[in-house]
Amino acid sequence: MLACLKRMDIILLLCLCGLAVLGIATLYAAVYEGGIGLWQRQLVYWLLGMGVFFAISCIPLRMVGLFAWPVYAITLIALALVPLFGDVQMGARRWLNLGFIYFQPSELMKWALMLVLAHCFASRTAASFKSLCVALVLTLVPAMLIVSQPDLGTTLVLLLSAVMMLFVTGLPWRWAFYGLVTTLAALPVLWHNMHVFQKQRVLSFLNPEADALGAGYHVIQSKIAIGSGGLLGKGYLHGTQARLHFLPEQHTDFIFAVLAEEGGLMISALLLLLYAVMISRILTIAGRASTRFGSLICMGVAIIFTLYAGINIGMVTGLLPVVGVPLPFISYGGSALVTMLAALALVMRVTIESEGRVYWQRPGSPLA
Amino acid sequence: MNANMLEVRNCFERRLLVLRVMGVVLFLLLTGRLINLQWLQYEGFFLQAEQNRINVVPILPTRGEITDRSGHGLAINRISWQLILIPERADHIDALLKHLQRMLHWGRDRVTRLRSRIRQARADMPVLMADQLTWKEAAPIAARLYLLPGVDIRVETHRFYPYGKLTSHLIGYLSLANAHDVRAGVLPTEKVGRSGVERSFEAHLRGKPGAQYEEVDVHGRRISVFRRKPPVMGSPLRLSLDVHLQQVAAKALGKRTGAVVVLDVHSGAVLVLLSQPGFSPNNFITGLGARQWKAWVDDKQHPLINRALQTAYPPASTFKLLTALAGLQYHAPLATGATQCPGYLELADRRLHCWKTQGHGHVDLHKALVQSCDVYFYKLGDQLGMKAIRDEAELWGFGQRTGIRLASEASGVIPGAVRRRNGRTRPWFRGETMITAIGQGVVDVTPLQLARFAAAIANGGKLLIPHVQAGLPPRVSHVIDVQPRYLAIVRKAMRGVVAERHGTAHTYLSRLPWQVAGKTGTAQVISDAQEAAHLPAGEQQYRYKDHAWFMGFAPYKHPRIAFAVFVEHGGHGGRAAAPVAAAIVRAMAAATAHAVAVRPARHTPIAEGRPVYKGQG
Repeated sequence: MLACLKRMDIILLLCLCGLAVLGIATLYAAVYEGGIGLWQRQLVYWLLGMGVFFAISCIPLRMVGLFAWPVYAITLIALALVPLFGDVQMGARRWLNLGFIYFQPSELMKWALMLVLAHCFASRTAASFKSLCVALVLTLVPAMLIVSQPDLGTTLVLLLSAVMMLFVTGLPWRWAFYGLVTTLAALPVLWHNMHVFQKQRVLSFLNPEADALGAGYHVIQSKIAIGSGGLLGKGYLHGTQARLHFLPEQHTDFIFAVLAEEGGLMISALLLLLYAVMISRILTIAGRASTRFGSLICMGVAIIFTLYAGINIGMVTGLLPVVGVPLPFISYGGSALVTMLAALALVMRVTIESEGRVYWQRPGSPLA
Repeated sequence: MNANMLEVRNCFERRLLVLRVMGVVLFLLLTGRLINLQWLQYEGFFLQAEQNRINVVPILPTRGEITDRSGHGLAINRISWQLILIPERADHIDALLKHLQRMLHWGRDRVTRLRSRIRQARADMPVLMADQLTWKEAAPIAARLYLLPGVDIRVETHRFYPYGKLTSHLIGYLSLANAHDVRAGVLPTEKVGRSGVERSFEAHLRGKPGAQYEEVDVHGRRISVFRRKPPVMGSPLRLSLDVHLQQVAAKALGKRTGAVVVLDVHSGAVLVLLSQPGFSPNNFITGLGARQWKAWVDDKQHPLINRALQTAYPPASTFKLLTALAGLQYHAPLATGATQCPGYLELADRRLHCWKTQGHGHVDLHKALVQSCDVYFYKLGDQLGMKAIRDEAELWGFGQRTGIRLASEASGVIPGAVRRRNGRTRPWFRGETMITAIGQGVVDVTPLQLARFAAAIANGGKLLIPHVQAGLPPRVSHVIDVQPRYLAIVRKAMRGVVAERHGTAHTYLSRLPWQVAGKTGTAQVISDAQEAAHLPAGEQQYRYKDHAWFMGFAPYKHPRIAFAVFVEHGGHGGRAAAPVAAAIVRAMAAATAHAVAVRPARHTPIAEGRPVYKGQG
């Protein structure tokens, strides 16, 4: 345990500390007036998540590999149970009530899929048709289940992360091109099958001012909040858009707007920098991993973090349509935070096991 | 190490690099977006955020008060109390309403109405429960506010007209701003002057609204107040009117329909401007019911019309003064000569009658004016012709607005140089010219024009622009080029109307402290026979009754006031209208005598006690 701690990546830990401080401070600013103690709860989630983090970073990757398939299977079953027993919140059936906690299987599915794909391609490349088919089945079954909840954001993250995973495992460019063409062709079909509110979100993204008080309201208000922050911000706890509740969902999906309004470009750029350093570090660790499995896990984690941060910030700044994606480590939410810390723990484990060598030099590596 | 493995490794490294590049591009894109929003577009978004949170609540200014020449309030601001309720702060609306019902003795239907209004209103916005409460009503509630959560008492001011109907036409009334006013920059909750002085002096009286800058949240609730810009109170306005004189005139006129105008002979200041029947301007302030409005509009007496200047009537014999002046000016032979009045004048196959059927016998200009001989003026008019009468009338200000600062003034009618009908023109018949010379036919004048005419005769030919504001220097429209001896002739004749034994107003104006000079007028009313046919007998008689006029000035030697009294369907001018003038002159003389005895400093406002008339010039 102590040995594990010693070998941990210090840069990653520093980034994590920075995000933790920034996250709790921003959450406090977003909810302190509401006064129901959301930020104290988030503090508890952080403590819980750090416990999970250290626990998982002590589990050898070999064991993790053994868990990959069972975790995927259980999550898939849970996902299939959602339409039958799930709780409806905000018009979508996404949550399972486990008695002590509300649990969102789709949230876990991204990580389970990443893990199972990493395990699957640890001993082969995506260049063969057979393995590609396996990957597609593994991806599309949960994707179908999630999109019917309906949860377009999570589905998109799931599909994108799967495609990126396939890409790094060696999907030929030619196939990637075919895939792209097929996807573009499928877009009209997708549009046809979308829910009204989803269509509205896409439309309001394309022209937010057309319906300033309706669907476009969220994006307009968050853009005003971010833009009015300026270079140095309005000062901590002095953001008018946040304090006077002009911002929608300001403690979850739109929390970036609170941070950017009160901290200005200075703090919002600092957050981007923290993400960039963290992801870059994870990719470096991926390059140094002692096994291909570990390497792929790192790639998957980096991809999912990047997608989360990119989609969330893109959405609140009006670059992307509004989809429900949390800002990693900043948005309020226990299950998302704990799973992300667990994923980061896997990366940490890869560092611990890498010993400064790369996997192909090692006798008995899966590809040897 | 085999080639396959190496190739896999290389592929992996390349893909890793591609991934890194994609990541870098993504982060550069996001950074660029943030720079764009937070740096380049900062000012625009900052303004939008401020607009989001700052709510500007206007504060209404207090309207300037209107007083008469000695400080009696004619339009004042009264303090009253409003009862408001903010629904979200009340615990139990029904119990609260029951409580208020007991305290203010509300009827059950009022409570029902209030309950539905509260239900429809926004929970965080105040609902007006009761308006214009007196302190007696408001005080018990104010003392129990701690028992009535959500209820509040607010102070408000509202316009009050202490003299009500008496000054209704001159002062006018207010009503809530309409869409047109709001486009012109008036606040929707402001009251705007609709007639009389309230309308003409709107800019003077209104003041400037202030504003309160409030921070509001997304629901529009007030969080805090940053800044208050206090409103600028409207300027007070002192009128030249003497409200006690106005009361005297109203009392003398009694219940009769008509108008009285009294002007200062030298300055043109309006001392009395009365039109009867009046309306109650306070009704407009409290919100006029549709039924009341309809009653006023449908009333045959037309209480909303200011008869002193908004309608014109045939001047009848008072117009003979003008014909006389024209005769002197144009050197008509008859003006310096004389004629016989047998009681009628034969013109072709028609007979034009004099009011005195047995005739006046030998008449010259003086006797014709004093006894108001029609035949003399038929002949004088015939000698002058329509054009001369018309030019003279125009010179003395008829047929055009006097220019007083009051809305909807009528210009009256004087005959054109030629007669127009159905698009064709033809010269006037002689008979028409003759009828015009005695003030019947195609002449209509307003009481205000006639009073100004009297003032011009009295002051030596200065045609004044009447004004209602106190302390204003005289404004002269033009000085009429008339020989003083002609004016003296006319003035002497006007004195004769009152002083001589056969003068038409002799019996009514003798024994006054001031010597009055004047002229009576009795206008024949040509009503539509068809309209009159289905009126009840009594009303028919009223409808056919003549209009009575009396105009003139006083004192005769050193004129101070000029007046015109008009009584609609009043009958004979001397009998109906002259006593009103007598009452006014008596009151004026008494007030002036009092002022001479007391000698108050000039321009000292006197708030209490009897009015003191300060003599002019």
